Amino acid sequence: MTTSNPTLAIPGQLLGSTSKYQPGPGTHIHNHNVHASLMGTVHIAQPAKAPGPVKRLTKITPAPAPAELPTISVTVPTRSAGSDHTGQKKREVLPEVGNVVLCRVIRITPRQAVVAILVCGDTVLDAEWQGLIRVQDVRATEKDRVKIYESFRPGDIVRAEVISLGDQANYYLSTARNELGVILATSEAGNAMHPVSWKEYRDSETGLTELRKVAKPY
Amino acid sequence: MTTTTSRPLVLPGDPISPDLIPSSSSKPLRLGPGLRHVPPSDIVPVVAGQLITNHQKNSMWVEYNNNRYLPTPGDLIIAQILRSGPDLYYTLLSPHTPPATLPHLSFESATKKTRPQLAPGALVYARVVLANKHMDPEIECVSQSTGKSDGLGELKGGMVFEVSLQFARRLLMAKSREEGKVEVLELLGGEGLAFEIAVGRNGRVWVGGEDVRVVVAVGRALRETDEGGLGVEGQRRLVRGLVRGLK
Repeated sequence: MTTSNPTLAIPGQLLGSTSKYQPGPGTHIHNHNVHASLMGTVHIAQPAKAPGPVKRLTKITPAPAPAELPTISVTVPTRSAGSDHTGQKKREVLPEVGNVVLCRVIRITPRQAVVAILVCGDTVLDAEWQGLIRVQDVRATEKDRVKIYESFRPGDIVRAEVISLGDQANYYLSTARNELGVILATSEAGNAMHPVSWKEYRDSETGLTELRKVAKPY
Repeated sequence: MTTTTSRPLVLPGDPISPDLIPSSSSKPLRLGPGLRHVPPSDIVPVVAGQLITNHQKNSMWVEYNNNRYLPTPGDLIIAQILRSGPDLYYTLLSPHTPPATLPHLSFESATKKTRPQLAPGALVYARVVLANKHMDPEIECVSQSTGKSDGLGELKGGMVFEVSLQFARRLLMAKSREEGKVEVLELLGGEGLAFEIAVGRNGRVWVGGEDVRVVVAVGRALRETDEGGLGVEGQRRLVRGLVRGLK
């Protein structure tokens, strides 16, 4: 068994035994061994207090308590600036239920709008997660008379709230509040539009209006 | 005086000279199909055809004949049922296009228990409700506001003939004899033949009747008027020949 600790790890790589290390973020336990779960660099954090010296050779001492074992973890080096202001490495942000997210409409069908979630809270996400805005979640009133074509169009930027983590493919989002809805829209002619009411955007150049579910500006 | 003066042939992207554009101080200029307004002041044709201007209504458009039907809300069309979904039918307006959806309850006085059951292959006369470039088109067989069908619904029996889009438009004109120059249907009816007609803007004409020979004769008359580009005189001769063959 090698005595030197590996500095780079790939998922599944054996890092050590659970009797020597405490598993930290990016690792998991399998058959009493600590394996890496991510591909990245291995860090070993020394415990708060070092295990005390063995007092007597003949005394039966219990195994060192978990708090005394060094913690081994695997972290992925981030491509961007790296650490935030506290010096900690940035963790992956995932949308949770209740988060307000910004998303772009990809496709509309008569029953739902398929969106790609771009920003969660204040953080721009690394990967785009797919979300669905069902027709009954577009508005709070008159849910059965909603027309998706008069609420969203492909290419719009929408502020929505996550209502469910959904299934494997989609988050479920809702725009059923005044401050949720389309915040940026492009007209059929290709120009930027500005909002004129809760359901209309107007093209600055041509003067034509288009119907959207408009988010109330703060 | 006359509603049309000159009808120049335009190609897509051709500049239109300003003296062709009707100007009126009271009414805004209305652009019909085939023209696009490029702000601030350019009007550009997007299809090849004849530029028609109407000075009384202050409107201009291009008369063109292409073979690809683009659904527009408000159009009356003949659709064929492909299959039935959870609570809508998938119908075909034209070949190799996405199917248009027709809700099960979108018929006159239809409830979940008393709705018409349409088999795949059945024909309906319907109106386009929603058509845009982002979604599949939707059609209906009942008027949303009044709840009446106004002649829409299933077409039973008969035969469907394909015609060009411009011919279908001429048939559907209010003054088809004067402006559309097509009176073959009136002539056939005048000869005493009994048949029913439904014209779809998507280039389909349904002919129904009890006698199959009458139906086929009407279909032949429509097809030959369309393909031969017959004028009124040619249509009269055609009808006379067909009726003689029937008797």
